[in-house]
Amino acid sequence: MITIDSNTKKTLMDLYTKKGIGLEGNITKLIDTENDEEFKKYLKECETKDGDKRRKRLEMTKKIQKQNEELINLNAENQKIMDDLQSTLKGAEEQRVRIEVQNGELIDWREENEKIQQDLQREMINSERARIQAEEAKTNAINDLDILQKRNQTELISNIVKVALYIIIGVGIVTTGVYVFTLVMGKDTQVISATWSNIFGILLTNAFSIVGTIMGIKYATENKQ
Amino acid sequence: MIDSILLVDDEDLFHLVFEDACSLLDISLSLNALNSSDEAAKLFQKWFQDGNNNDKPECVFVDLNIIGSSFDGIELIRKINFEYGNHVVVGIISSSNEPEEQAKAVQAGAQFWIIKSDDIEPRLEEFRKDYEGYKNRTLPFKVYK
Repeated sequence: MITIDSNTKKTLMDLYTKKGIGLEGNITKLIDTENDEEFKKYLKECETKDGDKRRKRLEMTKKIQKQNEELINLNAENQKIMDDLQSTLKGAEEQRVRIEVQNGELIDWREENEKIQQDLQREMINSERARIQAEEAKTNAINDLDILQKRNQTELISNIVKVALYIIIGVGIVTTGVYVFTLVMGKDTQVISATWSNIFGILLTNAFSIVGTIMGIKYATENKQ
Repeated sequence: MIDSILLVDDEDLFHLVFEDACSLLDISLSLNALNSSDEAAKLFQKWFQDGNNNDKPECVFVDLNIIGSSFDGIELIRKINFEYGNHVVVGIISSSNEPEEQAKAVQAGAQFWIIKSDDIEPRLEEFRKDYEGYKNRTLPFKVYK
């Protein structure tokens, strides 16, 4: 324990009375009052004042400590929100990159499609041209066939006419020859002249009939086509 | 009353709380506070090497997780008890109440575990009553909730 002389005690007590300055802290617990009631009272007051101060400071520090804890918790919560936000942003960024890649693929695909479409159009034009050419070829073929048919028909008709004319001319010549021979030989021409006349008439009629029929057929065939 | 106390805690604000609470409850006359377990370990090492026990605190309160230190409070207690001489009352003062950590503290030689909270005075008051038991090493490990 610490002992203090009477002058120092008086100085300390005067200082406390006049200016309110007293001893503070645990030092007051170590001072021996030596049964000095006045100094004991002074120390008691100093201890009470110090205790009040400490109590007040304790409350304040506790309050600050609590606020600090709340701030730390809030900070942790904020950090968590920030982390979530960053995670969301990262996700959005990844999504954006993925969409960009998909867009790129779509653009490539569209370009490829356009190219295919252009090729297709070109092919369609070629096809249309080919079709037109085919149609033209068909028309030409039909025309050629028609011409061929007509030529054949003409040839056939020509042959028929020729043969018919040869027969008519042949029969005419033979009949005329027999009639002339009869006349030259001075024989009876009654029968032969009638026969010649009849045959000639028949031949001419038949010849015109043949020619007429052929011309009729030819005309009808032309109209039909 | 405890002659001298050493508090090892990284939180400066708690130093003030602890000092005021100890003073108001007449627990201790002298209180020193350190921010890191490394500093505390160095001091105990020095006291152990010098063989000077006069400056040594009578009781040590150690925080469990001391930010900025190379080891935690339990390791500090282990060092104090098994490396630098076992002559102090030592325990944990922490907001944690993990039984696993408490079991580790017991193994390291901690004598008590005080839960830190806004209302620490009743626990310190109870601790003050039990202190003689810790000093005599007659009281088993106790958790002040």
